[in-house]
Amino acid sequence: MKSYLRLTEFELGRFFKFYFVLIGLTIVSQLIGVVVVSKGYMSEANKAIFQEGMSKQTFIEQTGPISLLGWMNSIWFLGPIAFCIASLLIYMFLIWYRDWLGKNTFIYRLLMLPTQRINLFFAKATAIFAMVLGLVALQVLLIFIAGIVLEWMVPNEFMSVMSITDLSIAFPYLHTILPATFTEFVLYYSTGLMAVFVFFTAILIERSYRWKGLIFAIGYVALATIFFMSPFIVSMISEEVSLYPLEWLTVQIILGLIVVVASVVVSRYLLAKKITV
Amino acid sequence: MIEVKDITKKFGRKQVLKGVTFTAEKGEITCLIGINGVGKTTILNAIMALTPIKTGEILIDGEKLKPATFNHITFIPDAITVLPQMTIEESMQFMKDYYGTWNDDRAQELLSFFKLKPEEKISSLSKGNTAKANLLLGLALDVDYILMDEPFSGIDMFSREQIADVFTSHLIEDRGVIITTHEIGDIEHLIDKVVLLDDGVVKKQFYTEEIRAAEGKSVIDVMREEYKS
Repeated sequence: MKSYLRLTEFELGRFFKFYFVLIGLTIVSQLIGVVVVSKGYMSEANKAIFQEGMSKQTFIEQTGPISLLGWMNSIWFLGPIAFCIASLLIYMFLIWYRDWLGKNTFIYRLLMLPTQRINLFFAKATAIFAMVLGLVALQVLLIFIAGIVLEWMVPNEFMSVMSITDLSIAFPYLHTILPATFTEFVLYYSTGLMAVFVFFTAILIERSYRWKGLIFAIGYVALATIFFMSPFIVSMISEEVSLYPLEWLTVQIILGLIVVVASVVVSRYLLAKKITV
Repeated sequence: MIEVKDITKKFGRKQVLKGVTFTAEKGEITCLIGINGVGKTTILNAIMALTPIKTGEILIDGEKLKPATFNHITFIPDAITVLPQMTIEESMQFMKDYYGTWNDDRAQELLSFFKLKPEEKISSLSKGNTAKANLLLGLALDVDYILMDEPFSGIDMFSREQIADVFTSHLIEDRGVIITTHEIGDIEHLIDKVVLLDDGVVKKQFYTEEIRAAEGKSVIDVMREEYKS
C-alpha cells in the first residue's frame, strides 16, 4: 500500500508541470471567454437599445437573455476542455511508453522495485484518474466563477441564472463531463476508469509481445468493448430482449466489473511473467 | 547462490539461449564473457525477470524471484535507471524511499569515492560519471547479489580504473557478483569464475585461479583458444 501511494505521488509529480499548464490554459481561456461573450452580448444590446431605439424588453424577447450557456457554446470554453481531454488521452499512452522509449531505461528501475509490479499499474491509473477529477473540479469552480463574472458584466434584467445541474441538462457536452446526478457521475467515471484499465492492459500486451502483441492488444480492446456493450448490441439485434432500467444498470455494472477484473488479472500476469524491457 | 538452470530464450525466430546452466556463489565474482549478441545481457535480464525465458529455471538462494527478492539482489544495467531530470541527490532519495536495504552511509562513501556532486543532474553528467552514478545507486543497497552489465562500456581509462577499484574494496566484499564485460583486461585479476558463452550455450566455465595454476593461462588466453576452435 505504501509503495502504491508513493508510486502514485511520483507519477503525479512527473506530470505536474504540464498539468499546471493545462490548468492555467483552462482558467485563462474560460475567464477571458466569459468576459468576451458577455461584452459581445452587451454591445449588441447597447446597439439595439441606444442606436436602434429598441426597448430592453423587445431586445430580450428577440435575442433571449444571456446565460452561461452562450459562454459554454464558445471556443473559449470548449477549446481548453478539448485540449485537456486530448492531452490526457495521449498521456494515457505516454505514462507507460516514456519509460521504455529512447534512451530512457527507467522501466528497469520501476520493474525492479521491491513491490508487486501490479502497483505500477494501479499507481499510473490512479494518477490519470486523479488528474481527470482535478480538472473536473476545476471546471465546477470555473463555472461558479464565470457566473459571478457574468453578474458583474451584465445587468440582472438581461440575465437568465442557471444552476450547474440546469446547465448540465441543457448542454450535452457538459453533461458528459459533469453529469446532472451523482449516480450518473459515478457511472460515467467508473466507465472511464474501466476504459483506462483496458487501455493499460492493451499497452502491457504490446510491451510483452511487441509486434504480435499489437494485434493481440487491438483484439483485447475490441473484445472488452464488445463484451461491455453486449446488452446494447443484443437489444439492437433482437427486439425480444428488453430490460427495465434497473436491470439494465445491474447487467452493465456486472459486465464492467468483469472487464476491470479481467484487465487486472491479465496485467498482473503480464507484469510478473511476460514483460520485456 | 544464483542458479541458472537450462534456460532457453528466443527473439523472434532467433534462438539466443539454447540451454544455459551455471551458478554464481555469494562472495565470488562471476564473469559472463562472450562475443556480442551471445546473450549475456539477456541472461542478466532473465535473472531479474525483465525478460521472460522460454524454458528453464532461475533460483536465487533456492527460491524463484519474487518482489521481496529485489531487496537482496540488484542489477546495474549499462545505462542509468533513474530519470535524467533527477539530480544525483534526488536519485538517491528515490532509492531510499523504495528500498529498505538502502544504506545511507555507503551511499555517502560512494559519493566521495567517485567524487560526484549530489546537486548535479543526471542528464548533465559525463558518460563516465553517469556510469559511476549508476554504480552508486546499485552498490549503496545492502544486497547479497549484484549483477552488472558492461560497467566499463564506453568510458575513459581513469573512470574504468576507478570503477575497477570498487571490486577490490569492502563495497563488494562478501557479495555475489555477476558481471558481463568486453573489457576483460581491466578486471581479469579480480574475477573468481568465468562462464564462457558461445552460440547460446555455456562453452566452458572455470575458476580463474585453477586455470592459472593448472595450465598457466589467463582468461584472455582461454577465450582465444575457445573462439578460435
